Amino acid sequence: MATLTFPLSRMEGHAQVVVEISRGTVVSAHFQATEYRGFELLVLGGPAEQMPVIVPRICGVCSTAHHVAAVKTLEAIYGVTPPPVALKIRELLMLGQLLQNQATSLFIFTMPDRVGAESLYDLAERGPEEVAADTVAHALQVRQVGTHLITLAGGQFIHPVKAVVGGVTSGLDSEGALKMLDELAWALPIASELFDAYWEASLAMGERLGTWGDDAPACYITSVGGERPNYYGDVLRVLGCDGEEVCTIFPADDYQQYLIEEEAEYSYARKTSYQNQVMRANSLARINLAQHMDTPRADGYLTRFHEAFGQPAHAIMLFDLARGIELVYAIERAREILVELLDTGQVDDRADVKVPYTPRDGEGYGLVEAPRGPLIHHYRVEMGKIAQAEFIIPTVHNLAAIERALRVAAERYVTAESVALELELAVGRVVRSFDPCIACATH
Amino acid sequence: MKRFAVVQLSGCAGCDVSLVNADAWVDEYKLVYMPLVVSTHDIPEVDILLITGGVRNDEDVYKLRHAVKRAQMVVAVGTCAISGGVANLGDRDEVREVFLAHHQPHLAPRLLPKCHPVDNYVSPDLYLSGCPPTPELFMAVLMEDQDFQASRIVCQECERSKLRDMRPTHLMGFQQGQVDSEICLINQGYLCIGSSTRGGCRAPCPRAGHPCVACRGPSDVFIEKDSEVWFGSIKRVFDSMTSVPSDEIEAGLRSPQLALFLFQFSDYAGDDRAARSREKMF
Ligand code: SF4
Ligand code: SF4
Repeated sequence: MATLTFPLSRMEGHAQVVVEISRGTVVSAHFQATEYRGFELLVLGGPAEQMPVIVPRICGVCSTAHHVAAVKTLEAIYGVTPPPVALKIRELLMLGQLLQNQATSLFIFTMPDRVGAESLYDLAERGPEEVAADTVAHALQVRQVGTHLITLAGGQFIHPVKAVVGGVTSGLDSEGALKMLDELAWALPIASELFDAYWEASLAMGERLGTWGDDAPACYITSVGGERPNYYGDVLRVLGCDGEEVCTIFPADDYQQYLIEEEAEYSYARKTSYQNQVMRANSLARINLAQHMDTPRADGYLTRFHEAFGQPAHAIMLFDLARGIELVYAIERAREILVELLDTGQVDDRADVKVPYTPRDGEGYGLVEAPRGPLIHHYRVEMGKIAQAEFIIPTVHNLAAIERALRVAAERYVTAESVALELELAVGRVVRSFDPCIACATH
Repeated sequence: MKRFAVVQLSGCAGCDVSLVNADAWVDEYKLVYMPLVVSTHDIPEVDILLITGGVRNDEDVYKLRHAVKRAQMVVAVGTCAISGGVANLGDRDEVREVFLAHHQPHLAPRLLPKCHPVDNYVSPDLYLSGCPPTPELFMAVLMEDQDFQASRIVCQECERSKLRDMRPTHLMGFQQGQVDSEICLINQGYLCIGSSTRGGCRAPCPRAGHPCVACRGPSDVFIEKDSEVWFGSIKRVFDSMTSVPSDEIEAGLRSPQLALFLFQFSDYAGDDRAARSREKMF
């Protein structure tokens, strides 16, 4: 039996893919997460009110999601409702993260696959000429608009600080808000152009490869809500494998009734499944469940997507295109919120951004829709200290689906005579389409 | 063109993401190895090697030793590389046993009993502190920017004004209270460490209304001394500006969200290793 190990790159964290082959038959395809820090254990005994500072360090890519989820969990335990303007600011935080993350995944992580480069940075020298020289600069700038938005709403773009129990530490300052509006206005057409080029490049790649990857049906899970998408997190919805419109809807508190988590001997990350079926989270789950985005350009792309690929659509390369729709949405929606806050005089430092609260013991759940899917924090607080903490990570919902897609790819490129070199590239593409985050998945 | 590489050990990738935001190096350097953004699986010879994350497992040890051999200059970046960082909260007495008893998948890298700073294994030429360091700090290091000016302490980069006649009697915790936007957070009862934390980050946290947790580590005067000296100085600031009982301050400083950063420099490992020199701090 031969064992092939593929190192991974252009994704967050430490992981590798191990494929076992016997006489030309793929025996297994495993995704191995190889790092572990132990957050569920290391926060034990710490004061519950310190979680919003500590848990963002689970992941620098997704720190915003953990920061907001921690605050929401404590608010659930203490029974606090933050004022509306604070909720708007937190939604901006989540949109900043969505914008930043989708730009990173589209341009830094997966664009190089479409033009055969090793990184975005050498795309200009190595890619085909039609890739305009300023693609690289534009891609990085659009991504930075996302990080600037997080900084505006969160104080810091990595490990933000502004969300606190009861609200936010301070409102938006008007100078920053106006500057942000200009940046977003600049970014919208540029991001659309980049996405259009990306869409074309993806079609060309699909054509060249003769496949869009694993396209068997799966269940989809998201928490952006039923009406207009809300990345601040609502209830969980699951679209069953049969693609029926009937969705299972449940609050974060009930996740254990629906989702089964299991450990693996070869990985520091657990895997979840829904009623023993393969489940998917992340962009494609949201786009498969979305009827509309409720912003003009994003709705245009959504219609085009559903018309071209159906609803639900299953091929894994469509995760990438779904990210582009969300990139455009994040820019449009952030603008809407900022305009609304400015027009209603809610942008100034002294706005009522926080309500008082009294801490108490108890158990609670906090849910946000992170770029990779629904993120749930669950804490039990005794004597003001963390007695139990669980982090239910979106990437973990995708791991079974990743392994299934890896197997599909391996079976395509392994024959009785040989293993095609293309397998190494295919493994990278498969994994990146799910945009997994290993620091989060193992925490 | 000069070449640089980034090796990520066990951390959160925040340092790496911050570096991605610092793009002025694009014209001066070729980034030859950084798995987060580049698909190259081996480290070639480089002028500068940045190391992020702490040493948590046997694979980290190997990667670290393997990488430094190929570098002219080695920079330890971020709290995790400098002290082990947040993963070291698992080394508290209350947690250590549960931790060691935790299930370990036997086909994945083996965990070490605790998370180590990188200088337990190799000798960095420079330490760039911050959790994470800001993009501006990364650029100042990579570009050897002579014009870069950092203040001695975070307080000097924060525009809040200190008042003489506003003396809190108790600490607020970080979550409580309405934060006034002009007045020093210490006057408002927050355990902000900006008065002795090294500057250079431009004080984003206190500017946004959140206490500085000292992620940049101690200012130059305290670098070569052990943490008790630093603690003593923080307590003196609070004695002169507040009427908060000193045991309350002490407990606050030793609680996880601050201990994480306050122990990062001088005496982290508790071994006999000499103090890191202040010349090596950025
Ligand atoms: S120092 Fe902070 S930002 Fe850097 S890897 Fe460690 S936790 Fe992440
Ligand atoms: S203000 Fe303090 S906590 Fe914030 S980045 Fe600067 S040193 Fe770190």
